Amino acid sequence: MSPELATSLIHFLGMMLLIASFWILASPQIGTCIRAYATHSFLLALITAVIAVTNHVEHLLIPALLTFVLKTIVIPHVFFRIIRRLGIRKEVESYINIPFSLLLAVLLVFVSFYVTGDDKILKPVAFSEFIPLAISTVFFGMLMMTTRKKAINQVLGLLLIENGLFLMAITMTFGMPLLVEMGIFFDVLVAVMIMGIFVFKIRDAFESINADDMTVLKG
Amino acid sequence: MTIDRVLWMPLIFAFLCLIPCPKRMTRLTFMTGAILSAIGAWLFVFGASWSPRVFAFNENLMMDSLSAVFVLLITSVGVFSAVYAGGYLFKEGDSSISALRLRRYAFFFHLFLFTMLLTVFSNNLGIMWIAIEGTTLASAFLVNVDDKKSSIEAAWKYLILCSVGIALALFGIILVYYSAIAQAVAGESGLLLNWTFLLSKAGQLDSQVLRISFIFILVGYGTKAGLAPFHAWLPDAHSQAPAPVSALLSGVLLSCATLGILRFHILTTAATGSAFSGTLLILFGVLSVAVATPFILEQKDYKRLLAYSSVEHMGLAAAGLGFGGALGIYAAILHIVNHAFTKSLLFFSSGHLLHLFQTKEISKVKGIFRKSPFLGIVFFLGALAIAGMPPFSIFVSEFLILSAGFLAGKFVPCALLLILLAFIFIGFLRHANRMTLGVPEGPPPVAEKSFLMDSVLGLGLIVIFVMGFYIPGPFQRLLLDASRVAGGAVV
Repeated sequence: MSPELATSLIHFLGMMLLIASFWILASPQIGTCIRAYATHSFLLALITAVIAVTNHVEHLLIPALLTFVLKTIVIPHVFFRIIRRLGIRKEVESYINIPFSLLLAVLLVFVSFYVTGDDKILKPVAFSEFIPLAISTVFFGMLMMTTRKKAINQVLGLLLIENGLFLMAITMTFGMPLLVEMGIFFDVLVAVMIMGIFVFKIRDAFESINADDMTVLKG
Repeated sequence: MTIDRVLWMPLIFAFLCLIPCPKRMTRLTFMTGAILSAIGAWLFVFGASWSPRVFAFNENLMMDSLSAVFVLLITSVGVFSAVYAGGYLFKEGDSSISALRLRRYAFFFHLFLFTMLLTVFSNNLGIMWIAIEGTTLASAFLVNVDDKKSSIEAAWKYLILCSVGIALALFGIILVYYSAIAQAVAGESGLLLNWTFLLSKAGQLDSQVLRISFIFILVGYGTKAGLAPFHAWLPDAHSQAPAPVSALLSGVLLSCATLGILRFHILTTAATGSAFSGTLLILFGVLSVAVATPFILEQKDYKRLLAYSSVEHMGLAAAGLGFGGALGIYAAILHIVNHAFTKSLLFFSSGHLLHLFQTKEISKVKGIFRKSPFLGIVFFLGALAIAGMPPFSIFVSEFLILSAGFLAGKFVPCALLLILLAFIFIGFLRHANRMTLGVPEGPPPVAEKSFLMDSVLGLGLIVIFVMGFYIPGPFQRLLLDASRVAGGAVV
């Protein structure tokens, strides 16, 4: 792959990634949200693979493959099973409406570009434009966790944060050491399973999966 | 013994506990598992073969005197907690828990011990992160044993808040790794996240990046350690978990997270050569004590009272680490040890209280002395101890922390701490008085005696009393070594 082609491909993928992040926030239905997350993870896997090939860091191909298998196929599949068994097709409920959360998201993108604009401290090993993208993905995840009512959206937000951190690690350092990377994947997978089980427990105990029903404990 | 064997023990017993068999057998496996793992770990720690540090698993795991102290802590409180749970959860009768649930409980209990041991054994900072996230995942099911609304809520908050916090810590670790790579520190890439390696090359790391990373680590692991203002999950999880689990969470889980912060504190101090991380630790330490004070004074639920007291004590330990100097660090580590034993004792007695009074409300608990003199004495003395009354061990370490602060010339935080501690002392004394004295309401006690549970209380009381004026020689040497390591000495 010629360097020019690689650069423009990376630019393109980065743009798509940002669009996918917005898609997650913008989609009014949980099913679409999950599909958007799967797309986001797929793009992440592609970016990782392209970085691995262009910079000749072949060990990155393993995380790329794992991202593809786990985050694009397995985790969305688990999510779809959960919502099918919960029987929810309803729209995402949010404390703030979707246009406003998109506005906030745009603001967050500006913030992440602003805080990383000074490249004196952070000089990434590959494609510096991914740093603000990674940070804004983390921000999006946090926005999602704080504004959405359903417990399942909070898990999705957490996964989005994790995607952002993964992108950060890839661009800053070509990924963590393989052993650590594998451990993180394992943790994420287990976390999704456990949180999935808890979503059912919440449904059984509270008769809804709205996190704002959980107000028993105070003080 | 070697590191791997110490780690394998709880893992093996976790799976042994899953074997379907009568409750009695599960209980036996569960308790012997904890005891055997503890004996193995103690043999390893007090054997001479590891000093000053020993590596395993490609240098990814390590034990130095600092981890040795925490290994002792985890396994000792683990044994107490397992024996107590043997009487508390495995009781027969109509209120008993199903065998399947108990097996699952025993499984996650040992898994929890395993992840905590892995945390303190990790040399690779990435593995330490994985292990700390593992502790959250393993203990979420322990917090929610009974599937009540409130326990599910507590467990969910615990899972979500700690996972987000820890995600931020991962950001910090990425930055540390980046600073090692960016400075092209010579060495294999596999070593670059190893704490010992980073510490030996600390001078070459980018101090600016390390400062930023320490902030993220402090927020991330601070969430897990219960430092204010990231402590929102802590009172919920501690109050809803069954007593033996609360004891483990408060006694050792918080301590393990503090060890995570400490490792980065040592690294940051060595790399930046400044008091940056120490100042932050003092700030958040004092803030934690300050946030906990009003909640302790006005608390209505005795388990939440103990939980907020954990926030306070973790704050004190963080402040002690921040004051630094040989004395401050020694005092902070000693404080973590003392807090672990005292607080677990109090949480165990809260299990007794719940049996006896069937409520968690302070106002409904009256006259423990009359209802059960033994429990009354343990609870009252425990409350005095945790409030910082001499001659108990907490007093000694609190005194040392404050002395270290004055020695370091940090008069303002020390003065603040003194005032807050006085308030907390009053609060605890008031609550303890109300609960232990007076005439009990309601029917006479129906609670069945459990020898296991009572013996844990008795032993715990002896430990915190004796530690007040005598620390056994080998353990004292270990503590001194640990504070030297924490002081940044390259062994």
